[in-house]
Amino acid sequence: MSVRSFAADDSNRRPLAVIGALVAATPVFAWAASQVGYAEPLDVAAEMTGASAAALSLNPGLLPDYTVPGLDPYVGTFVSALVGTVLCLGLALRVGAALQLRENGE
Amino acid sequence: MHTPDGFLHPWMAVAFIIASGGVLAYAARKLRGTVTPRQTQLFGMVTASIFAAQMLNWPLPGGVSAHFVGGALAAIVLGPYLGALSVALVVAVQALVFADGGVLALGANVWNMAIVQVFGGYAVYRVASAYHESGAIVLAGWASITLAALAAGIQLGLSPAFGSELISVVTVMAGGHAVLGVGEALLTLVGVRLVDRLDAVDSETVEGGVAA
Repeated sequence: MSVRSFAADDSNRRPLAVIGALVAATPVFAWAASQVGYAEPLDVAAEMTGASAAALSLNPGLLPDYTVPGLDPYVGTFVSALVGTVLCLGLALRVGAALQLRENGE
Repeated sequence: MHTPDGFLHPWMAVAFIIASGGVLAYAARKLRGTVTPRQTQLFGMVTASIFAAQMLNWPLPGGVSAHFVGGALAAIVLGPYLGALSVALVVAVQALVFADGGVLALGANVWNMAIVQVFGGYAVYRVASAYHESGAIVLAGWASITLAALAAGIQLGLSPAFGSELISVVTVMAGGHAVLGVGEALLTLVGVRLVDRLDAVDSETVEGGVAA
């Protein structure tokens, strides 16, 4: 099953609307988080032990840190959320199809 | 919770790539030929939702923010095997496309978030749901993120980059996520109820998951 056929299935309209709402909200949350700073316990532990300097970047990523180079950070967050969500949906549908019951003919 | 490259000792990173790969291969083997078309759609929905939900950084009092991880949600809605594959896909996309979490550390990140969190959350849910369904979902959400953080804390605490300060690192990781886990717990409940409300889950998947 492809993302397109998934989206065309009427029974998926409401879940897709919810997913779309999550994606649309990402720039707002990114802005709100930037107002308080973003620090997870991992960051705290790394800072506390001096491990922060050991972090390496072996893979720069196509959209590093959920940004699009050259675009406004919040627009980049939205584009990254959209790209990642569609990618995850597509990959999951492929994996799911590969695991499906064969007698269903899919 | 996404460990970058350079934090773990290389042998540990490689060991977790092998271990996580083995568990995911076992999960796929258990599921092969058992997944229905509707479950495939649900798998897609949950995986996409978890990715999007992980991008919502919730600002919290005290100058920090945190995001939902979703391992227990995936486990409860999809069952542990499909749930593990779901979160593993999300973690892999985050590492490879967005450089969120290391490439060498991918095995450890999958281990923590897709295996420990999913199977741990599912085990708690199965035991506790005999007493109270909503309470079990909340408890599974909280326990799952705390267990995942404990696993990450042990890995990092044993690593030379962290000065092998096992106790300190475990305390910060597990303690910090035990507090943040209140949010994970509540969002897990909201997520499971939302999926239920959208009629996307049939009773078979809610009760036992795809493979249970």
